[in-house]
Amino acid sequence: MRGRGAKIAGVLPLFTLFMAGAISAFEDIERLRIWPLPAEVSHGGRRMYLSGDFKLVTEGSKYEDTTGILKEGFDRMLDVVRLSHVVSGGRNSSRSGGSALLQGLHVIISSSTDELEYGADESYKLVVPSPEKPSYAHLEAKSVYGALHGLQTFSQLCHFNLKKKVIEILMTPWNITDQPRFSYRGLLIDTSRHYLPLPVIKNVIDSMTYAKLNVLHWHIVDTQSFPLEIPSYPKLWNGAYSSSQRYTFDDAAEIVNYAQRRGIHVLAEIDVPGHALSWGKGYPSLWPSKNCQEPLDVSSNFTFKVIDGILSDFSKIFKFKFVHLGGDEVNTTCWSATPRIAQWLKKHRMSEEEAYQYFVLRAQKIALSHGYETINWEETFNNFGSKLNPKTVVHNWLGTGVVERVTASGLRCIVSNQDKWYLDHIDAPWQGFYDNEPLQDIKDKKQQSLVLGGEVCMWGEHIDASDIEQTIWPRAAAAAERLWTPYAKLATNPDKVTTRLAHFRCLLNQRGVAAAPLVGGGRVVPLEPGSCLAQ
Amino acid sequence: MSPNLLLLLLILMFLSLSITSSLSSPSPADSPPYLWPLPAEFSFGNETLSVDPSVALIVAGNGGGSPIVRAAFERYMGMIFKHASGRASLLARIRFLRMVEYDITSLKIVVHSGSDELHLGVDESYTLMVSKKNEQSIVGAVTIEANTVYGALRGLETFSQLCAFDYLTKSVQIYKAPWYIQDKPRFQYRGLLIDTSRHYLPIDVIKQIIESMSFAKLNVLHWHIVDEQSFPLETPTYPNLWKGAYSRWERYTVEDASEIVRFAKMRGINVMPEVDVPGHAESWGTGYPDLWPSLSCREPLDVTKNFTFDVISGILADMRKIFPFELFHLGGDEVNTDCWKNTTHVKEWLQGRNFTTKDAYKYFVLRAQQIAISKNWTPVNWEETFSSFGKYLDPRTVVHNWLVSDICQKAVAKGFRCIFSNQGYWYLDHLDVPWDEVYNTEPLHGINETSHQKLVIGGEVCMWGETADTSVVLQTIWPRAAAAAERMWSTREAVSKGNITLTALPRLRYFRCLLNNRGVPAAPVDNFYARRPPSGPGSCYAQ
Repeated sequence: MRGRGAKIAGVLPLFTLFMAGAISAFEDIERLRIWPLPAEVSHGGRRMYLSGDFKLVTEGSKYEDTTGILKEGFDRMLDVVRLSHVVSGGRNSSRSGGSALLQGLHVIISSSTDELEYGADESYKLVVPSPEKPSYAHLEAKSVYGALHGLQTFSQLCHFNLKKKVIEILMTPWNITDQPRFSYRGLLIDTSRHYLPLPVIKNVIDSMTYAKLNVLHWHIVDTQSFPLEIPSYPKLWNGAYSSSQRYTFDDAAEIVNYAQRRGIHVLAEIDVPGHALSWGKGYPSLWPSKNCQEPLDVSSNFTFKVIDGILSDFSKIFKFKFVHLGGDEVNTTCWSATPRIAQWLKKHRMSEEEAYQYFVLRAQKIALSHGYETINWEETFNNFGSKLNPKTVVHNWLGTGVVERVTASGLRCIVSNQDKWYLDHIDAPWQGFYDNEPLQDIKDKKQQSLVLGGEVCMWGEHIDASDIEQTIWPRAAAAAERLWTPYAKLATNPDKVTTRLAHFRCLLNQRGVAAAPLVGGGRVVPLEPGSCLAQ
Repeated sequence: MSPNLLLLLLILMFLSLSITSSLSSPSPADSPPYLWPLPAEFSFGNETLSVDPSVALIVAGNGGGSPIVRAAFERYMGMIFKHASGRASLLARIRFLRMVEYDITSLKIVVHSGSDELHLGVDESYTLMVSKKNEQSIVGAVTIEANTVYGALRGLETFSQLCAFDYLTKSVQIYKAPWYIQDKPRFQYRGLLIDTSRHYLPIDVIKQIIESMSFAKLNVLHWHIVDEQSFPLETPTYPNLWKGAYSRWERYTVEDASEIVRFAKMRGINVMPEVDVPGHAESWGTGYPDLWPSLSCREPLDVTKNFTFDVISGILADMRKIFPFELFHLGGDEVNTDCWKNTTHVKEWLQGRNFTTKDAYKYFVLRAQQIAISKNWTPVNWEETFSSFGKYLDPRTVVHNWLVSDICQKAVAKGFRCIFSNQGYWYLDHLDVPWDEVYNTEPLHGINETSHQKLVIGGEVCMWGETADTSVVLQTIWPRAAAAAERMWSTREAVSKGNITLTALPRLRYFRCLLNNRGVPAAPVDNFYARRPPSGPGSCYAQ
C-alpha cells in the first residue's frame, strides 16, 4: 500500500489529497490551519510563492478606496505575513520557482461605499490559483469590510519559509467562499475598573481583526472611574482615577475611527442607573446622598439631563446604530434610604422596582431620541421585559434560558452567559468558550434570527495593561470560531480543534500578541520549556 | 564670541536661574521629579511650558545629522504626542486663532562625535536644557548636547519623560521648568538577558523588549540564543544545527538576527550573543548527533572530538558577521560531566590524557575561549569557570556572576572584569523577589578599592525562559528590571540614601504607568509576586 500511495503522490498529488479528504473530511479540515474556519474551502497540494513586490490590484472594482481602508488593510496584511522577518526578494529567483510566483492580489469590491453598516454583507470569495496559471490571487467581496476578512484569511494561508526566506502558500489552488454565521461578534473591554492606555486598546482592536470579531463593546464608565471627556458636562471626567488616566473626546473619536477602518464597530456603554457612582465625583447631586452614592438619583431631572447630554455627545462620535445602557445589578436601597427620594417615590406611587423600570425606560427614550437603538443587560428584561422598547436588544449574562425567553417575546438578543463567555473567569477553559452555542435549545427559525450573536466579556477588576492580552487570547478566539463558522463545520468535541487553535495562538504570538498557552485550562503561564505549538 | 563660550555663558545662566528657582520650589524629596532612572545632576524651577506638536528638530555637531538621531526624534515625537494627533482640539484652534505661541517650538540636538560606533563604554552622557524662549536665551528652547548619538538618545528619553499630556488644555506640557540636567550612567554595562531556547520569542516580541529597554536606559541585550531545549538560529556553516529548533516556525534566520542587531543599535543597545558550552547544548546534536557523547547520554558536548570545536568555530565565525559587539558569552555554567565519565570513548580519551572530568571541563572552556579570541571577541563566562579554574582563564575574560554573592569581589581582586547578576535578586524568573529587593541590590557591595570597583563593568537582570513565553515575558521583565536599571544608571548616593518608599516607589509606579501608556504590559509594582494581575480595581499610579 505504501509504495503505491507514494507512486500516485508523485504523479497526481491533488488526487491523493482529495482521497485523504474522502477518507476523513474532518482531519483534512484540521490540516488547514485557518482560524476561524471558513464556510467553504477546497484546496490542492501545490506550493506557490509571493513575489517580493506583491501588489494590490483593484481593476474592475466599484470601490474607489478614497479613504485608503483597503490599501492600509493590504499593507497590514503583508506586515503580519512577514512577521518582522527579513524577506528576500523572491522575484525571478530560481529557488522560488518563477512559474509558481504570485505577483499580487486582485481585489474586486462591488459596493462603492465604505460606510460600516451593522448587518451588512461581510462575505468574500478568495481564489489562489494553481502554479500552472499563476500571476494573481483573486478576492471578491460585496463591501470593503468583507474584503478585509478575505485579507485576514489570505494572511493565514501564507507562511514564511525560513530556509528559502520567501513567503509561500502551500496546498494551492485554493477556493474559499466565506461569510459569518452571526452578524454580532463582540468583545467587551472595561476601562473603568482599570484605565487602558490608547495603544493597548488599539492592540486589542488589531488582535480582534485576526479572529474576525467585529464589535468592540466599550464599557467606558462604572462605579470606580469615569475616564471619558463629555463636553456637555465637563466635570464628569473628574471621576477619572487621576488627571492622566483619561480619554479626550478626540481620543474616543480616534478609537472609533481606528476600529472602523478595520471593520469593527464600537459599542459605547453607560451603565445606568447602577454602576455609575463615579459620575457624582464631578456632579455630586447625581448621588442620592453623599453617603449613599448609587444608583443615580431617579428623582432628579438633572440626572436625565446629564444622560441626555452624554448621549447627545456620544451621537457625534459613536456611529454604531446601538448604544448600551446597562441596567444590571441595580441595588435600589439608596433610593428608599434617602428621604428626598423616598418622598418622591411616594408622591409618584412607585415602588423601588417601578422606579428602576421608570429609569431604564426613560433612558431608553433619550437614546432613541438621539437615533440609537438600545441594548440593555438581561435584568431589565427579567424584571419588566414587556415594557421594554421593542427595538431593545437584550444582552444575556446571568442565566440560561434567557435567550429563549427573549426571542420568544420577539426581542433581539446577544449571548454572553458568564459561566462560559466571561473572560475574567480565569479558570474557565478554552473548550468551554468553543462549546458555548448561542442557539442552544432554540429551534424556531424566527427566534434563531433574533439572536444577533454573542460577546466575550473582559471585565477589568483584575485586568490592566499588563495582563489584558493573555486573558483575552486565545480563549476569545475559541468563541470567535463559534460565532463565525457554520454550525455544521464546528467540532462537536472541542479537543479536536486543539492543534489548529494552538497554531492560531502561535500566530498571535508571532504577530506580537501575548496570547496565553492552551495547556492548563483558563488563563495560564507556560509550565515548562517547549514549543509554542505544543503548549 | 565662540560657540563654546556662548554655551558656557548659557550654562552659567541656567545654573544661576535654577539656584534661585530651587529656593522657591519644593525640594525633590517632597515632590519627586518623575524621571526614571534619576539623572546624575538636575535642577528645575516652577514654570509650566507648552510644547508645540510640530516642534522642529535642529541638529548640530559632527554627529547631529546621523539617521539614528532623526529616527529617534520621530519615535519620541510619536510617543509624546499620541493624544494630540489627529484633529486639533477646539482649544488648540482657539490658541491658534489668537496667535498664542507654544513655549517650546524647537528641539536642538548637538552631537559632537561623527562616529556612531556602538561599543562597550561608549559615551552616553548628555546635558538637557529646557527653558522658555526669552531675551537671554537665543538658542532653541530645548537643547540636548552629547558627545555621541547614544548620549543624545538617552537625553531624548529623559526629555520624553518630562513631557506630560495635559487633559485640560489638551496640549503637552513640561512642568517645573526651566530644567537643567547633566547626566551619565554609573555603569557602562546595563544588561537584560532573554532566553530563546526554553521558549521561542518571535522577532516582534524581541523588538518590543529592546524598545522597552531603551525607556529604562538599559544598553545590553544578552541573547541566550541556544540551550539544551532548542537551537533556533540559522548557522550557515553548519546548516543542520537549527534542526534543533522546536519547529520550523520557531527559528531565526541570519537576516532576522542582523535585523535585531540593527534595531537595537538604533536604540543604543548592544546585543551580546551567547552559546553556552559545553553544558546546556543538547539541542546541537539534533542536527549533528556526533556532538553528543552518545545517543543515550547527550550532554555536555563531546570533549574528545575536533568536530565539536570545528562546530563552535563555525558558529562563532557565522555570528561574528551578525554581532559586532566586542563581548561574546561562552556560558560554561552547570556542567555535569557524568556523560563523559560514562561514555566509553570519552572515558578512554580522558585516561589517555590523564584528565579528570574537571580537567576536561577546563580544557573545553579554555579552548572555546581561544576560538572566541581568535575571532576578535572578548570572552564572557559564567562564574563556575572562575571558581573552578580561575587562574587559567584568559585575563581578558569577563566573569559573569549568578550563583555566589561575593564572586565579583573575588574576580576583580584577581584582576578580572565582572558582571553582576546575583540570582537571589536579579533573576527575573524568581517571581518572589519584590521590586525593593531588586532595587537595593548593589553590584559594588563589599568592593571598596576604586581600582577594583572599576572592574565591575555593570550588571544584568536575567529573564530565563522556562516559564516565560510571549504571553508573559514583558510583564515578568517589567517593572522589576527598571529597579535594577536605576541602580545601574543613577549615582550610588541617589539610590542608596533615604527611604526608598518615598524616594523611589512613587517614581517607579509612575514609570510603570509610563510603560503601560507606551503599550508595554508592565505588571503592578506592589504585587507580592511578580507578574501577578492587579489585586483589584484602581489607579495605575496606586498599584
